[in-house]
Amino acid sequence: MLGKTGVIRSWTVIRLPPADFGYQAPYPVVIVSLDGGESIVAQLVDFDEKHLSIGQRVVTVVRRTVQTGIDDVIPYGIKVKPL
Amino acid sequence: MNIYIIGAATTKFGELWGVSPRRLAHQAVTDALSDAEMKPSGIEALFVGNMLSGMLGGQEHLGAFFAEELGLSVPAFKIEGACASGGLALHNAVNSVLSGQYRTVAVLGVEKMTDHKPEDVAAALMGAGSEGERLSGATFPGLYALIARVHMATYGTTEKELASVAVKNHYHASLNPNAQFHAPVTIEQVLKSPCVADPLKLLDCSPISDGAAAVIITSDPSASLRAGKKAVEIIASVAATDSLGLAQRVSLTKLQATETAGKNAYQKAGIEPKDIDVAEVHDCFSIAEILAMEDLGFYKKGNAASVVSRGETTLGIARRLVVNPSGGLKGCGHPVGATGVKQVVELVDQLLGRSGKRQVDGAKIGLAHNVGGSGATATVHILKI
Repeated sequence: MLGKTGVIRSWTVIRLPPADFGYQAPYPVVIVSLDGGESIVAQLVDFDEKHLSIGQRVVTVVRRTVQTGIDDVIPYGIKVKPL
Repeated sequence: MNIYIIGAATTKFGELWGVSPRRLAHQAVTDALSDAEMKPSGIEALFVGNMLSGMLGGQEHLGAFFAEELGLSVPAFKIEGACASGGLALHNAVNSVLSGQYRTVAVLGVEKMTDHKPEDVAAALMGAGSEGERLSGATFPGLYALIARVHMATYGTTEKELASVAVKNHYHASLNPNAQFHAPVTIEQVLKSPCVADPLKLLDCSPISDGAAAVIITSDPSASLRAGKKAVEIIASVAATDSLGLAQRVSLTKLQATETAGKNAYQKAGIEPKDIDVAEVHDCFSIAEILAMEDLGFYKKGNAASVVSRGETTLGIARRLVVNPSGGLKGCGHPVGATGVKQVVELVDQLLGRSGKRQVDGAKIGLAHNVGGSGATATVHILKI
């Protein structure tokens, strides 16, 4: 899943997050059409305001996902960043 | 075989901190039985629509749980389909009667949400989404915001037009004694309310609510007239599904499950969208009512937002279809498992002409539209008097 490129189909900014995401809010969530044809929902990271736009090209990266306790395994997942 | 609704009732919706789920269910079913002028012993089975009792309250096995509370030793089932649990419970109840297995059954929709922290409710509701959506930190306002963004980009729908949905539904709710909110809101108040998930603001969103609603349905024509009322008949009961996640959808400007359920329902009922006098549609967010208006065939894709903002679906202004006279999910409240049943209770009241200040004059045919998740489940019921 890493290094795949695609284009933003839609975007929003989550300002009232679910439990375990509080430390990241506000954060953008985007729907991306990957160039291979698959479509995913992911957080957008390493972005500026101008990247919040339908049509913006992005690439998949690995990032830490939710907040966990001190003894828990740190979870990682796929996010996207602007190209 | 014809299916009739012979009793219908809803509790007050709102932040009911002093009331337990047991009491909510008891009140809704007891009132529905009293409306039907029948004793509990006439009920042959119980269908319960609920989404969150397990995740939030730790209580599963709701069929037996509520059968016990109601003093019924009958087959009892919990039906779960996210926010469409109520509509789906009714659909299953209708099918069970059509099969000939039972003649008279009760359908209960019930949800208790406000005893829990908002971030926990938001996380529990995401149980209705896809794994990818949960891992991304999306919320339901976020998913509908993603739809709204594309609808705005494609059809020029504006934030002001979206706000007019909330204004209309708060106005209708102000006429409904059982609604969560009784205060009207203005376009400016909606636009200035805090942003939840751009472009959706707090007053674009339905609230977190408690409540219950119940209907008694039967295939017995004599029972349908026993209460000395005209019989309200269910002339279509339809369910449809689509991909669980938004990303897998071909189009982000419509809910395919709604379109499919609507088309099948019109076909079964032998009617067209223009024949509907009153509709209760699933306005969990302002954009969702716009989608419903279009996907149910009332207006062309891209046209519904301007129609709603001109007041053409508002009580007292509408020349034909009135939408969400109860106040909808936005104004009346959205106890998720109860909503689909409450919509049908509202239609029964409207068709029987007992809706008081919010009565749609001369309503003969009503449509209820209930959605689960971001459109992965949709149910449509059409009622006629």
